[in-house]
Amino acid sequence: MKITRTATKLGALAVVAAFALAGCSGPSADGGGGETGPVSQDEIDEALDTPTELTFWTWVPDIQNEVDLFEEKYPNIKVTVENVGQGLPHYQKLRSAIEAGEGAPDVAQIEYQYIASFVLNNSLLDLRPYGADELAGDYVDWAWKQVAPDEAVWGIPQDVGPMGNLYREDILSQAGITEPPGTWEEYAAAAQSVKDATGSYISNVGATQAGQMIGFFWQAGAKPFAYDGKETVGINVNSDEAKAVADYWTDLISRDLISTDVDFNDQWYQGLANGKYAGWLTAAWGPVFLQGTAEGTSGLWRAAPLPQWEEGENVSGNWGGSSDAVLASSENPIAAAELAKFINHDEESALMLATEQFLYPPQQSVLDDPAFLEQESEFYGGQQVNKLFAEISETVDTDFQWLPFMDYVYSSYEETMGSVIADKGDISAALDTWQDQLVSYAEDQGFTVE
Amino acid sequence: MTSAPALTAERATVPPPKHHTSTARRRQNRAAYLFILPFFVVFIAMLVVPLAYSGYLSLFESRLIGGQVFAGLANYARALTDPAFLGSLGRAGLFFVIQVPIMLGLSLLFALALDSNRARGSKAIRLLIFMPYAVPAVVATLMWGYLYGPDFGPIAQVVRALGGATPEFLTRESILGAMMNIVTWEFVGYNMIIMYAALRSIPAELYEAAEIDGAGQFRVAWSVKIPSIRPAILLTVIFSIIGTFQLFAEPSLLNTIAGDAVSNSILPNYYAYNVAFLNQELNYAAALAFLLGIVIAVTSYVVQLSTERRERKERADS
Amino acid sequence: MTSIDARAAVPVEEVAAPGRRPRAYDPQRRRSVLLTVLLWICVLYFVLPLWWLVVSTTKDNSGLFSTFGLWFGGNFALIENLQTLFTLRDGIFLRWIANTILYSVVSALGATVLSAMAGYAFAKYDFPGRKALFSITLGAIMIPLTALALPTYLLFASAGLTDTPWAIIIPSLVNPFGVYLMRVYATDAVPDSIIEAARVDGAGENRIFWGVGMRLLGPGLVTVFLFSLVGTWNNYFLPLIMLNTSDLYPLTVGLAQIQSAATAGGGSQALFSTVITGSFVSIIPLIVAFLFLQRYWQSGLATGSVKG
Repeated sequence: MKITRTATKLGALAVVAAFALAGCSGPSADGGGGETGPVSQDEIDEALDTPTELTFWTWVPDIQNEVDLFEEKYPNIKVTVENVGQGLPHYQKLRSAIEAGEGAPDVAQIEYQYIASFVLNNSLLDLRPYGADELAGDYVDWAWKQVAPDEAVWGIPQDVGPMGNLYREDILSQAGITEPPGTWEEYAAAAQSVKDATGSYISNVGATQAGQMIGFFWQAGAKPFAYDGKETVGINVNSDEAKAVADYWTDLISRDLISTDVDFNDQWYQGLANGKYAGWLTAAWGPVFLQGTAEGTSGLWRAAPLPQWEEGENVSGNWGGSSDAVLASSENPIAAAELAKFINHDEESALMLATEQFLYPPQQSVLDDPAFLEQESEFYGGQQVNKLFAEISETVDTDFQWLPFMDYVYSSYEETMGSVIADKGDISAALDTWQDQLVSYAEDQGFTVE
Repeated sequence: MTSAPALTAERATVPPPKHHTSTARRRQNRAAYLFILPFFVVFIAMLVVPLAYSGYLSLFESRLIGGQVFAGLANYARALTDPAFLGSLGRAGLFFVIQVPIMLGLSLLFALALDSNRARGSKAIRLLIFMPYAVPAVVATLMWGYLYGPDFGPIAQVVRALGGATPEFLTRESILGAMMNIVTWEFVGYNMIIMYAALRSIPAELYEAAEIDGAGQFRVAWSVKIPSIRPAILLTVIFSIIGTFQLFAEPSLLNTIAGDAVSNSILPNYYAYNVAFLNQELNYAAALAFLLGIVIAVTSYVVQLSTERRERKERADS
Repeated sequence: MTSIDARAAVPVEEVAAPGRRPRAYDPQRRRSVLLTVLLWICVLYFVLPLWWLVVSTTKDNSGLFSTFGLWFGGNFALIENLQTLFTLRDGIFLRWIANTILYSVVSALGATVLSAMAGYAFAKYDFPGRKALFSITLGAIMIPLTALALPTYLLFASAGLTDTPWAIIIPSLVNPFGVYLMRVYATDAVPDSIIEAARVDGAGENRIFWGVGMRLLGPGLVTVFLFSLVGTWNNYFLPLIMLNTSDLYPLTVGLAQIQSAATAGGGSQALFSTVITGSFVSIIPLIVAFLFLQRYWQSGLATGSVKG
């Protein structure tokens, strides 16, 4: 860094400091969401031919490979990939940078449930003028609905997590269970037999894992959250549907048939590897994740759809998955939008995400690709796991919404639900506490709560 | 904060001014200002300005809908009735009455033991006890997280091998204790070094006389050594207060290890951080941080005052 | 946002108290077996966690969870672990080490010089406002970091300095406690008579400080430097907030990041043994520095006690 430049910056710092004292708040990001006419192909070509630098924040490992494809195609665009953290730290950084009006990336990975919170303060660019609405048909419906709840398109779907049931065939068969439980009732009975016969838990419900619980709600048809894109939210986490789900788990947990270890830490990994848990109710990204975690149990696992609440039903929920969104503050919106589209739409790139980063695809092109679907996994005894999840993906309820402050929703879940689940307490009652906290937060924040 | 701790150090010797003409004096003043200038430039830019800005922010209320509005002292009023904040202060208070005495007690014992020079290898002992200080809090917490593990942690392994029940360190009830242990482990050696250095500088005549009078080691330690290093002890107490209220890395990393046990409001500094970054209530967080600073200042001041009073009383008694 | 980890300070002033004489070594003192044994048992508490760390760096992921924690076992995977660590994301770990060294050495140097100048001025000049300014400096020790984190971030962002090394270095230059220490240290270490003599010889105040003062402050400088160094080296909060580019991370933030990658799902790898190996590697430099400079900082303390 050159001295003079630094000196200038320091000077600027002093000036800003004076401003702060004088009572001016920092600059805040605005723009975004505004109506602009469609961008013409000429403009796009011109933008892509102009030497441009883009920053892309994502935590997908080795996504550089897909970015390389993009740079190969558009040699004038230089993309810097940054991993600023995974999940919450990532969003905290993003919010800080937006708040500061400086340092935000052009493109950022954003999980579906967080999109609304960035829409709320106009931080995202509506991608319709950049041709994103033409892509609608290329993605599974419910995933598209997540990025385009109303008219605007706030991101391009990158991956999804329709939920299924991964289980240890060997442990279940020791308990005399040859077919994966089709209903939750059967699942409860199976949990008892597995515990009696082998001492294993049929699965673990992470005490602090809101994503999984919300996935169960999703499957049960509960609509805990609603948001109109403006100032009105709906909060209904203690609805009858949600309470039915909660009561189900309260029962199994209190009978010590389901463990409640915090997931994704070392203890839990070992629980999967050593048979403490005979299964995992997880999302489509789970199968590959498990392969890396429980290598020693290769060949013993199988995948099945989630058990159903009603016999003969076939529905699932979603847990996880992300989109790539363009920040409203980007100075190169055309190139940035093109990057977000390319990564998640270009056939080669999308296939690569699915087969090398093992992100479960929302793209129809990949879901129709036999090379992807018919992959047989040794870890799952030769089962075509991708195909199974492609079928499950069709059964996810399309109309699930989020609140524009999911950071708080999750942290409040940890506070109100986490401790109750860990203590094998009454989860339904905890839902009421959670509901109260969320409502009072929303009201404090100036939302109209319906 | 002009009444901030004078600690013990008002003994600067100022050159007697009588030899100087006022020109010389002025020149010296100018030199002095030039010497403190660089420090104060950075000090103002990095401490005073952000602090003032933060104080300014704390007077507003920001909402996700509706933006910022002037709120006067509403944030402060809210903090004083916020059970999460008060709870976090309470737990920090527990730290202060349990962990700090244990830690400093150990430091003092070690310092006295080493100072007595009766143990073999005391130099090595001193260094080994000090070593954890060189370990970043991030690493220390990660490490203890593994050590505490109920299934694979070595502590649990040993206890089970001895036939005991698996000890639970990472539950909601015990997490505070687990954290206290980490902090103790990190800082006993550091505080010990402060006290040890102070002990080494006690003039030998002081307690040789006592020894000749037939006083035993413990008596000498109690009535000569400890009183002589009281300023050093006070210093460690004050630093421990400040440190306790500012703990951040420990709860934040333990939260990744045992999320169900570490509540967002377990300790005040961590709570303020979460309020700012999770709840997105920057203004409220600024008010919390301000209150926290006041609590720290008041506690330190009270501690200092009570020691001084005791000292005065003792002097009067003798 | 001070760079001192509030507990990072050196007790120079206690040692440097005037009028005290060092105690002569007393060779007739008896060694106590009981005390020796007790102390060494206590030492175990401080050393065993580090021993666990050393042992664990030699294990692979499965060894970590299947063997006794305090002894070697399973595959000897130290070399592999180091390889994984240093090849992770194109060798970013080396980068983090270099960053950490850069940030902590530069800030420690700067903080030491600033503290020495200010401390010397407070000790040796009776200028108007001295007392008030000194009290303000001390009061600053109590400001909680979070009070400043966000405003500082916003200020730096407006100046375009977030996500640069300056965002770590500049705040770390403020070390109020260093000023306090240097003041107390200078009071005794730089006798007024020497200053007076130099003035009589016609030396300017500046020359007196840089030529005479700094030399006499030597051991105090080393101690303030070393402990400022630790403060920045171990700092997690500030870089966590300020930096977005992983190429700029110091070790603490980098390690926390691979740890969180290890514990969060979604296409990531379980890097437990890498995190552990990284933790171990990251503490070696400081421990070596303390051991290596042992004579220095301990003699710094000892010299302090000889002065009077």
